[in-house]
Amino acid sequence: MKVFLNGLKVIKGEVFIMKDRCKGCGFCVTCCPMDVLEVSKKFNVNGYHFPVVKNPDDCINCGLCEILCPDFAIWSVLKEERQVVEV
Amino acid sequence: MVEHTDELHPSEYFLQAGSIPSIWCPGCGIGTVVNTFIQAVEKSKIDFEKICVVSGIGCTGKVAYHVKFNSFQAVYRNPIKRASELKLKNPNLKVVVFLNDVDFMTSGAEGFIGVGKRGVALCVIYVNNFIYRIFIEHKALSRTPFIGTTVENNIESPFNIPHLAKSCGAQYVARWTPLHARRLMYSMADALQKPSFSLIEVISPCLMYYASNGIIGRSLDRVSFFYDNSIIKHGEPTENLDIRPPNKIIVGKFVDNIRE
Repeated sequence: MKVFLNGLKVIKGEVFIMKDRCKGCGFCVTCCPMDVLEVSKKFNVNGYHFPVVKNPDDCINCGLCEILCPDFAIWSVLKEERQVVEV
Repeated sequence: MVEHTDELHPSEYFLQAGSIPSIWCPGCGIGTVVNTFIQAVEKSKIDFEKICVVSGIGCTGKVAYHVKFNSFQAVYRNPIKRASELKLKNPNLKVVVFLNDVDFMTSGAEGFIGVGKRGVALCVIYVNNFIYRIFIEHKALSRTPFIGTTVENNIESPFNIPHLAKSCGAQYVARWTPLHARRLMYSMADALQKPSFSLIEVISPCLMYYASNGIIGRSLDRVSFFYDNSIIKHGEPTENLDIRPPNKIIVGKFVDNIRE
């Protein structure tokens, strides 16, 4: 196991949401592989339920929410990248 | 919780200022197609000024308005012909055509066949939502047998578009659904580099017309219906690509060759 893990990178991302652009389609919440997002109970300016970050530490910066969003309202940036060293 | 409204989206530079949020319904696949297209342009590192977007009528026609590339919206059933004139006049341009049922496979079908046979280097992105129904004879061409605009099921089977594109001599033919976003992006980045006619078919539901029948639940369910009922088979012979509802929709990259 030590052989496989050594040298791999652990990537953490940070999700940004522009909530007034959201139209509440739910693509990002459903397709997030790490279950980072959830639908808020609040409304935005246009009356839609926008997504909020539920587990900010789980984001792996895969960018799937960014590429799926039809209204360019959500994106992620690289926050931290570190290499696994031998345990 | 992170909510930064001051920061800008990484693709903001490619969007027409003030046009977002777009006019499309919540859950429509066209917005995702535009997003993947912009990311494909960023990925393939094509010069921003060398791209021209042409679109037709209807919801898909609004793509030309939302993106910041050089773009225009052609009149009814003419976008492929106008785009081919643009490409022949300016061979250095990368011309991308966004089409729907009307402009591609029903009223504008003769344009697609002629231009495709001639091998004009267009990148055609066809958003297929199975709903076109202005004339009765067009129902047989592009609509689906299971849902859509007829109350009873259609007696005709839908048209096999990748097969027609291959027989017209297209160099790159692929078919995806909007939720295959990453694969769709790589397909678009490939098709933008091709020196000949290339076609990408995106199967996306029309939320409004499916809602009137009430067959498939909420908007997200309608998009993921196509995702769940699709199976990826790269290099499948194009004769087998008919969409017949009990069988799964075959998606993937079917043709990728050099035109002789």
